[in-house]
Amino acid sequence: MEGHQRNLHLYDRFNARVVGVSRNDVTTLKFWSDELELTFPILSNPVGHIGMWFGALPPAYPMFSRKTVIIDRQGVIRYMRNGTPDFHDILKTLKKLNAEEVKS
Amino acid sequence: MMRLLLLATVALLLCACAAPAPPVVDPLAALRRADGTVVWQEEYAFLTPPAPWSLVSLDEDDYSIAFAKECSDYFPCQSTLAYAEEPFGYSDDFDKRAKEFFKRFLWASRVVFDEPQLEPATFNGKPALVARVEGKERVKGQKVAAKVVFARRGERVVGFYYTQWRPEQIAYDPVDEQAFDAFVDSFKFVKPSFYEQL
Repeated sequence: MEGHQRNLHLYDRFNARVVGVSRNDVTTLKFWSDELELTFPILSNPVGHIGMWFGALPPAYPMFSRKTVIIDRQGVIRYMRNGTPDFHDILKTLKKLNAEEVKS
Repeated sequence: MMRLLLLATVALLLCACAAPAPPVVDPLAALRRADGTVVWQEEYAFLTPPAPWSLVSLDEDDYSIAFAKECSDYFPCQSTLAYAEEPFGYSDDFDKRAKEFFKRFLWASRVVFDEPQLEPATFNGKPALVARVEGKERVKGQKVAAKVVFARRGERVVGFYYTQWRPEQIAYDPVDEQAFDAFVDSFKFVKPSFYEQL
């Protein structure tokens, strides 16, 4: 999450917004977010359906696996990667999507 | 016949004892330039710390490059130095970044750190910040001295780390910190960063 916070100004440059999603409860996420001084929203999804939709809920495991998803303005998933976020890859994708949008 | 064989064996053993030590191989020779600096990933150029410092194989992305030095005189007896392209924290202001950084630095070690001592510095002619801190693990009787240099690559903050682990009653070895300082002094960016070119 710190990595996303570090790149917020670049996300702004490419007209993108970031949202985190976790199965933790609101109280835990609020404490965690305050501790890291994050300024973007972290959504609490204890039921886990968002993780199910994106294939981030491993069978018989209570937490989401790490996954980065980029959704464009039309709601189309344009990028999906498992594991630790690759910020270079994410930013290159956002730059490309923003250029596409500016052209159209 | 047996005596001859025995003599031959003894002679061979003696020869083996007298054999010269194998030449020291430079594992980074292929990356080393004529001036002695190593060019790493076509991004950075630096002088490597002298042996017995050795390159650490990293399986995480917290650090961009790291070296370690160990000794067996006591435990722990280890020093590490590293360059990180993305040090913990996110602020571009050095003081804020140092505060954020030390929330997570060695967080899993159970070390209780003193308040970091901050001192303005320069790196490659630009403003930088040096933070020194000592931490103690009272249960195991261990201590660690750390020095972190917050510098700038383009507009982003990068970091150089140094740690030296010792038993609580053993004095630190200043030679390792000198190796770290020499590493930092020699460190140059070969090209603009990904973020500068974005």
